[in-house]
Amino acid sequence: MTKPARQSGPGGLRDGLVFPATKREFTSLLSMSVQHPRRKRDVCLFRRGSVPRLTHCSPFVLLVLSLHACLVQGAEPVRLTTDGHAKRDPVFSSPQETELLYVLLEKPNQLRLMKRSLVDATTVPLHPGETRSEFEPAVSRDGHFLAFVQSRGNLSLALVIVDLMNNRTYEVPPGGGFSGLRSPAFTPDHLRVLFSYPEEGRQQIYSVDVQGKDRKTLIDSQGVNNWPHFSREGSSFVFSSSRDDDFEIYGADAKGENARRLTTSPGQDIRPRFSPDGSRIAFTSNRDGNYEVYVMRSDGSDLVRITNHPEQDDYPIWTANGKQLVLLSERNGSFDFYRYEIP
Amino acid sequence: MFDIGSFRASTCQGIGRLSVLKWGASIPAGLMLGSPRVLHAAPAAKAKSVIFVWLWGAPSHIDTFDPKPKAPSQYRGPFATIATQQPGVHYSELLPRLAARSDRFSLIRSHVTSQPGHPDAGTVGLTGFEERPEPVQPNFGAIVGKHRGHQGSLPPFAMIGRGIPRDVVRKIDGYGGGKFGKGADPFMVSCADDGTVEIPSLQLLEGLTPNRISDRHEIRSRLDATLRQLDRAGMSEWDRTYQRAYGLIASPQSRAAFDLTQESQATRDSYGQTTFGQSCLLARRLVEAEVPYIQVNWSEYVECMTPNCDFGWDTHIYNFELLQDTHCPIFDRAFSALLDDLQSRGLLDSTLVVAMGEFGRSPRITNRAARDHWSRCYFSLWSGGGVQPGRVIGSSDKYAEDPLTTAITPKMVGTTICDLAGVDTQARAELKVLEGGTVIQELL
Repeated sequence: MTKPARQSGPGGLRDGLVFPATKREFTSLLSMSVQHPRRKRDVCLFRRGSVPRLTHCSPFVLLVLSLHACLVQGAEPVRLTTDGHAKRDPVFSSPQETELLYVLLEKPNQLRLMKRSLVDATTVPLHPGETRSEFEPAVSRDGHFLAFVQSRGNLSLALVIVDLMNNRTYEVPPGGGFSGLRSPAFTPDHLRVLFSYPEEGRQQIYSVDVQGKDRKTLIDSQGVNNWPHFSREGSSFVFSSSRDDDFEIYGADAKGENARRLTTSPGQDIRPRFSPDGSRIAFTSNRDGNYEVYVMRSDGSDLVRITNHPEQDDYPIWTANGKQLVLLSERNGSFDFYRYEIP
Repeated sequence: MFDIGSFRASTCQGIGRLSVLKWGASIPAGLMLGSPRVLHAAPAAKAKSVIFVWLWGAPSHIDTFDPKPKAPSQYRGPFATIATQQPGVHYSELLPRLAARSDRFSLIRSHVTSQPGHPDAGTVGLTGFEERPEPVQPNFGAIVGKHRGHQGSLPPFAMIGRGIPRDVVRKIDGYGGGKFGKGADPFMVSCADDGTVEIPSLQLLEGLTPNRISDRHEIRSRLDATLRQLDRAGMSEWDRTYQRAYGLIASPQSRAAFDLTQESQATRDSYGQTTFGQSCLLARRLVEAEVPYIQVNWSEYVECMTPNCDFGWDTHIYNFELLQDTHCPIFDRAFSALLDDLQSRGLLDSTLVVAMGEFGRSPRITNRAARDHWSRCYFSLWSGGGVQPGRVIGSSDKYAEDPLTTAITPKMVGTTICDLAGVDTQARAELKVLEGGTVIQELL
């Protein structure tokens, strides 16, 4: 998978993406990659409008070329925002995917929900007059319900559920003292909302109905459980858990039973998202030293790294056709959303 | 962008600078100069400048620089450790850049403080003494500032952040001049994630905007009227701050120190487009301008979880998610860039950089699956300015609950900072500050 381009011209560095102009330069880059494995950069084999010359390459180089070719197949990512401000939590606000809802750190004391039109590239606040921080939006698949986290006081976070069709708002208030609800996610039948909540020394996953009532426990284990996301057909959901030490991806059936571990890497595997057909899971992992986005099959097999950059890539969401991911990429210290083609 | 009170001088757009220059030329001479007097040139100071990075809210030591991978799960949390440049020394995996630069700074793992709450411990952390009995002792920066005095129109003690650090109830009493008086308070500056710099002390002149200024007489009359109002209100101390601010903007050199648009895009990018990152870059510019002491406060709210409160690193809930998603990545990038930048410009040897909070966080994971306050053990980072890098000083017990070695107190921190900044034993005695304080010899 290639990186966002910032410059043009033969050879050079584009957002951490190295375009070798000569065989010598390419060999040098390979050497750098071998000698400094933590200085990660994609090597793009195909300069625009050209075909690489593979003559005079050693078998080792050809092998590396082949591996890199696997990484760089597909179109370049499309940059969806350009302001560079700290942002997060993207979600499509309607089934048509014409609008991206996300969270902007508008100023140091305000996280604000924003709407970004993917048709005309305009961005406006979802709740312009809101003075409380709002973040982690979730939208039901039919677009009828919106849920998000809202700050209510000193370390106090409520879950707000909005029935957009009937213009009604419900909430799950925070508990006493320092407490809060996070990471809302709708069930595919739009009848319930999952969320994460800490108490009794661990952090569990619960669900409530869309009126914020009928709370049920879905996941209760040691450690921290967070970032639930349901499959479209509704038989299971995925989440991250630190029950076995670091954060790993787990799956469970719709009632939270039969939890099974899907990843076993060192480092943190977080924010899993089922693909629309339920066959794959996108997630973020720092297993190679910094945060990258990966895709695997729903049983945890066939892992593919989607991004490869020294800066962070995070918060992946699938497009409805299951062929693209929208995610947040940090490039040159700035944060913007990009759309990546998925092999 | 450089926002001077109600004025916004946009050097990148090329329209505001002329307005400021015209306005500056109209300011009475007495206001321009502020109170420039140098008490001590501090020729023996190993640190010409000090950057004190105040990690307000108290970062978790066990999840950052003092991990305990062999502790039970109810202590160690989910984060793994990574190797550093020192064999056998590990940090949390959330700090890869700083782990790769661990040979540029020394780490203290055996701090203790006497107070468990934010404002009280904040005062101890910034002054070395508790708030009571009064008077409140001066911030380390106020001591260095008083010793060095003004360097031209630039302040001797600058604080970069959005106001005085505070919790829900009140601010830190020891934020500033303390018993030295308001005149020794820090010169407050704030910096946004896009590099816009604001000087709050100039916000009083509401309505005085470039497009409303018709001539020099109007400017002068407005300034005079404002000063008369201040005199009537008995705000003589604020008056001095105000004068300093106007003196500052009257000097092109001083203005330039606050203008981040003069940095290359690559340099600005390296710190990250965050409030804290750009504040660290501004601190480096103030070092170049020879400001003796710069305190960079962790930005007011990074996670915005507590309205009307300076939340900082106070991760009573969602400690692990916050550290992983925001706090550690921002700090790891910005502090690494600061060290790189100072070193590449040949400034690190003459600049003391210290980063620490007011205490640590409870090693045992709490009922809310997070970490509460912990005054019995925490960390600090030291680099440049006469400090030997690459050392790990002190150690904590198997759960990071208490130091196994000699406890290092905030008073020792302040004494060491001041000593390296040229405020030696005699000078401290003359100023009647940090009495009984000792230098942390292991750093030197």
